[in-house]
Amino acid sequence: MHAKRASNPRKPVVFMSKRNSNADRFRKQAIAGDLEEPVAEARNLAEKLGLEPYPVKYWIIDYDEMNELIAYGGFQSRYPHWRWGMQYDKQRKQGQYGGGKAFEIVNNDNPAHAFLQESNTLADQKAVITHVEAHSDFFAKNEWFGLFTDGRADEEQVNAAAMLERHARAIDDYMSDPEIDRAEVEKWIDHCLSLEDNIDQHRVFQRRLEVEGPPEDLDEDLAAKLDELELSDEIKGEVFDEEWVEKLEERDEQVTFPDQPQKDLLAFVREHGKQYDEESERAVEMAEWQRDVLDMMRAEAYYFAAQKMTKVMNEGWAAYWESTMMTDERFAGDDEFLNYADHMAKVLASGGLNPYSLGMELWEYVENTTNRREVLERLLRVEGISWRNLTDVVDFGDVLETLEPPAAIAEITPETLDDLKEVSDEWVDREALEAAQEGEIDVAKYPWKVLTYEGLARRHYSLVKRQHRGFLSRVSQNELERIGRYLFDDARYSSVEEALEDVDFAAGWDRMFDVRESHNDVTFLDEFLTEEFITENHYFTYEHSKATGQFHVASDAAEDVKKKLLLQFTNFGKPTIAVYDGNYNNANELLLGHQYNGVMLDIGQAQETLKRIFELWGRPVNLLTIVKEVDEHDVEVAKRRNREPEAEERGKLIRYDGDEVTTETVPWEEVEHLAADDVDYDTKPEDWLA
Amino acid sequence: MGLRDDLERFREVGEKRREDLADFIQYGDLGGSGANQINIPVKIVSLPEFEYDQRDQGGVGQGDGDTPDTGQPVGQPQPQPGEDGDEGDEPGEEGGEHEYYEMDPEEFAEELDEELGLDLDPKGKKVIEEKEGPYTDMTRTGPDSTLDFERMFKEGLKRKLAMDFDEDFLREVCKVEGFGPRDVFEWARGESIPVSMAWIEEAYANIPEDERDEWSSVDELESEVERESIQQQIRREGIKHVPFRREDERYRYPEIIEEKEKNVVVVNIRDVSGSMREKKRELVERTFTPLDWYLQGKYDNAEFVYIAHDADAWQVERDDFFGIRSGGGTKISSAYELAQELLEEYPWTDWNRYVFAAGDSENSSNDTEERVIPLMEEIPANLHAYVETQPSGNAINATHAEELERHFGPDSDDVAVAYVNSKGDVTDAIYEILSTEGETDE
Repeated sequence: MHAKRASNPRKPVVFMSKRNSNADRFRKQAIAGDLEEPVAEARNLAEKLGLEPYPVKYWIIDYDEMNELIAYGGFQSRYPHWRWGMQYDKQRKQGQYGGGKAFEIVNNDNPAHAFLQESNTLADQKAVITHVEAHSDFFAKNEWFGLFTDGRADEEQVNAAAMLERHARAIDDYMSDPEIDRAEVEKWIDHCLSLEDNIDQHRVFQRRLEVEGPPEDLDEDLAAKLDELELSDEIKGEVFDEEWVEKLEERDEQVTFPDQPQKDLLAFVREHGKQYDEESERAVEMAEWQRDVLDMMRAEAYYFAAQKMTKVMNEGWAAYWESTMMTDERFAGDDEFLNYADHMAKVLASGGLNPYSLGMELWEYVENTTNRREVLERLLRVEGISWRNLTDVVDFGDVLETLEPPAAIAEITPETLDDLKEVSDEWVDREALEAAQEGEIDVAKYPWKVLTYEGLARRHYSLVKRQHRGFLSRVSQNELERIGRYLFDDARYSSVEEALEDVDFAAGWDRMFDVRESHNDVTFLDEFLTEEFITENHYFTYEHSKATGQFHVASDAAEDVKKKLLLQFTNFGKPTIAVYDGNYNNANELLLGHQYNGVMLDIGQAQETLKRIFELWGRPVNLLTIVKEVDEHDVEVAKRRNREPEAEERGKLIRYDGDEVTTETVPWEEVEHLAADDVDYDTKPEDWLA
Repeated sequence: MGLRDDLERFREVGEKRREDLADFIQYGDLGGSGANQINIPVKIVSLPEFEYDQRDQGGVGQGDGDTPDTGQPVGQPQPQPGEDGDEGDEPGEEGGEHEYYEMDPEEFAEELDEELGLDLDPKGKKVIEEKEGPYTDMTRTGPDSTLDFERMFKEGLKRKLAMDFDEDFLREVCKVEGFGPRDVFEWARGESIPVSMAWIEEAYANIPEDERDEWSSVDELESEVERESIQQQIRREGIKHVPFRREDERYRYPEIIEEKEKNVVVVNIRDVSGSMREKKRELVERTFTPLDWYLQGKYDNAEFVYIAHDADAWQVERDDFFGIRSGGGTKISSAYELAQELLEEYPWTDWNRYVFAAGDSENSSNDTEERVIPLMEEIPANLHAYVETQPSGNAINATHAEELERHFGPDSDDVAVAYVNSKGDVTDAIYEILSTEGETDE
């Protein structure tokens, strides 16, 4: 429950960037001045709506500065690296040629920093501000963001800008150190970045990870120990014969670590890795700076992981609340509104499954289904109404009419304030209403100020909105049964009217707040992407055909579409790789395993990545994986018969020893444990292409 | 530290990773470049990562108002929501992003010189500016401050040396027995003394009667009276008597330096008739485009004229030039006639001229010999070139290039003929063309 909170008046915070000429400064100051009120009121409105954002510092910046920030991933300083230069270059050119308008940027921090481009119209600025407030709420409240901060979202704990700045300076120092080759530092960073997504993003981030190592006394020679016992040769010969010793040592040699496959590759190489020394041609301990850079890269990977894991949710969340504030609450002035609507339409319409529209639609779905369920649960408790007859005996048109917000709440103007006296206390902020009547609150501009969270939920109740009016009546018999079957106390109300009296209009919003706390994109899509949604939007999966060399439509079944979509979100859309042995071949080689889910690795990329890992491990690296192989002859036959050839799954061991990459086929038994038996993301139908 | 450094570092990385120039010209994507900026793809070796095989991964698409049938082929995979918006990776091994290494035409020309071992030294032609050099020129009038006094003094001195003579001695000559003014004059002439008859007559008249026979002969005079040279006289009298004359006044004036601009007009002629199919067209583009960039980079000011022709010729814009397809026959002379007309705007005295034509060597009968060759000879240019593109070997009637070669000979210094039958021939053709003019530059 997101209870009403007295919003303490806060001084709006709008900044200008530091390096400005006077003319620049005056111009930006003027803009900043214009934005102070919108910033303050957007925060008030956000809090009324139940959002609990980190404080946000807004900065007015120009186009170049915006490009720089985008290149740096939303921060003002990052460690020296060519890829920022590349992104900056790209960003500038996109703006120059493609008209890619840099719009808003906000970073996950406490306080959050948001950047407003000075050339935006006032309507755009307001839209950005409302959008940013919602993002900031998401950063503060979503548990996946909490993994990095370990749940302690206070200023000391997050302070990402400070962390990144610290990293930037430390790495710059290493690069400037005459004892350290600058190019080596850059290369080392590159190696680490290759493993950027190979972390355990579902765990709380810890700077140093306890990674299980080999047993301490593994190296000690058992034979030597026996010698120390000074047993007579006779006894030794009888009891501890050579065969016995060898057998024992062999068993020791089989000791592997870690016990459980370890997904945080960066942590594993940090704890057990070495560097390969070209001159001596062997592994030597990493230099202090190398471990330090590894630590920094790993910390940054964890910091950005939450953002990558919640992209659809987070963008949808921001789009939803932006729309609520800008459109439903008319936060944009009437003259600005068209401008805004136009922009919004463009953002949401841009091609295919963009995270804004997908996310926003899913959030609306969460809201609508929750509200619908709330209404249906009330109706099913009316005497004589059951899941079997509900659609026959209840007129949904009448129900919707009853659910319409009272006129006093729907339309609030200075002239209608008196009408609010008749409305339930739950919905009206009496204190604010008094102030409004005194003329202390500008109701014409900010009508929401006189309502409570519940009042606003009532005012913006989703089921009666024009675009959702059909949602209630579209309920399937299945769902009715699911709700109705397990309902107790099913004859509480004597009439539909009485039942609707008890409807909790904030149910949808309350549920949304819960979901935004605990979900990530995978669980969000898994739970809320429905068949209805997939069918209505004409989604389908496509697969590549070996026979035609092209992609073809494979399935339009909702479960297939969802599966395929989830593949793109699970584990950052990357295959899962884990350490299976840090003492492989009893030679401290690294053995990685690819947890196969029906989709094979890009083998070329995997080989290149192994070369990078070699640099971080210092000794040969191995990867067990499963590939699909198709016999050339089968392809020819399949082509003639216009069908898809059958691929065979085989185990492969890819190895890089510092010199060359080798790939050998291994018996299925060696990879069987890697193959998932519960998921397969392949959606090719049996008689495809036929 | 900072983005500028990162950008610079990226450029360094990009320069190392950009496509080799010759490969780029022959096989690369020329379309990403404009007239003033050449964009050479840099394969961004995005850091390797464990990724799914893109083909095996498949994807999710959205039908346009309808869900397509199973088995229906889909075009390029649509961007997927998990990916970062603009990094639409392509399927297949060639996937991976391109960035561009930007070159301006100057850098391009330099690189190409290096790569192909070219040595084209453009000549300045048109005078575009006269500017003041050092004050080394002279004029007869001017402000006092620019009066060259030293020169006036020297000139005066020279005049004095040339005109002065030992007046005292000459007066003594007048006293030689039997000498009249005429005799004195004759004698002075014989001695190369610059004295006028009038001066002698006056001097003679001033000598009293009784002194007129003082010396019996010049020899006696010379033995009694010492003659004094002008140099001796100046040394004795000083130079205060140097005569300054108005006509010796000179005023220093700045020298005028003619700035000549290296300007060039390049005529690109392309056969767009029906026989010029896509492959031939592409080969022309691959040859012409780098030539244009190169010349633009070499010259201060480059202008381009594009002529398309089948049986008739017409002028087109650069953007349209390589795209045009037409039907009809081929008459190459039509293009040269138009070129001649259009080149009137670029007089040969002021402009370097290059006339490049390309086609598949097909031409109307006798047109090459009767019309084209005379026109080529008539149109003055640094270089005329013909590029024959015949990806499938020579057609029987396609003899334009051969005829040109026969007529002008292989050693011609202002006509080049090049054959481009495949992409691999492009750089050789460019070399052939650009080195032809080089041969006569010396």
